[in-house]
Amino acid sequence: MTSATYFEDIVVDQPKTTPAITVTAAHVEMYQGLTRELSTEPGEIPDVLTLCMAIGLGWRVKDPPMAVQAFVALDWKIVRELRVGDTMHTSSRIVSKRPMRDAGLIVDERTILDQHGEVVQQGRFTFLVAKRRKEASA
Amino acid sequence: MADHRRYFEEIELGEEYESPGRTVTEADIVMFAGLSGDYNVLHTDAEFMKRTVFGERIAHGLLCLAIQSGLFTRATAPYATLGSGGLRWKFKAPVKIGDTIRLRAKVVDKRDLDKPDRGLITLDRTILNQRDEVVQQGQTDLVVQKRP
Repeated sequence: MTSATYFEDIVVDQPKTTPAITVTAAHVEMYQGLTRELSTEPGEIPDVLTLCMAIGLGWRVKDPPMAVQAFVALDWKIVRELRVGDTMHTSSRIVSKRPMRDAGLIVDERTILDQHGEVVQQGRFTFLVAKRRKEASA
Repeated sequence: MADHRRYFEEIELGEEYESPGRTVTEADIVMFAGLSGDYNVLHTDAEFMKRTVFGERIAHGLLCLAIQSGLFTRATAPYATLGSGGLRWKFKAPVKIGDTIRLRAKVVDKRDLDKPDRGLITLDRTILNQRDEVVQQGQTDLVVQKRP
């Protein structure tokens, strides 16, 4: 099996920065085809598309992927809109860990920034992350 | 074309909408993985998922959030939306390939903002599946233009 970052491996308060991605008209076209959410103004990036791309960027870090079992909650603020041609990246850190039986809840605070370092969107994701399987139960 | 977008003043507290249904397909999930870059095994590895409680691949939570955003535009006449303020959202149950989801939404708050030309509309939103189970639920804030 591929390696993963389990609940026990997650370090609180360690900052992480992702690579950046340029948001293009092609992304908007694909997104609109998929969701039929129509943009209000040409050249404007739908806020939910920005959020969706941010979560993809979150996987492009050096650590093995978190063993996410479920996406539990999202508390999110839209600060400003991106436009076609802008380049976004995210910075994040885990702000809390709460163990449960076979898994645990983690709160991941993320910020989406543009090419000028200005905050675009910001908030908290809550994920249920698997614990490492015990040898005895295998 | 006549502007049929609804301004802040025209939207009333307690208004409720229900969208048409939308069947979530394997193609939706594959396209969304490509678009977002989220290739997590939950959404892309059918064999791995056979061994989990879900038994099969599930749709990305944000895919359904994005789909409901589109369903909202099919549920009611468009608002004169200037932007989104934020959202508070819970992912309650998985959406599987072939499930049909729809949106139920209700205007629960209207507030003035510092800028006099706009106001904030808060909607309660619930995504239901074909068995009427709640799969996602939350509140969204929309910044809506006032009548010029």
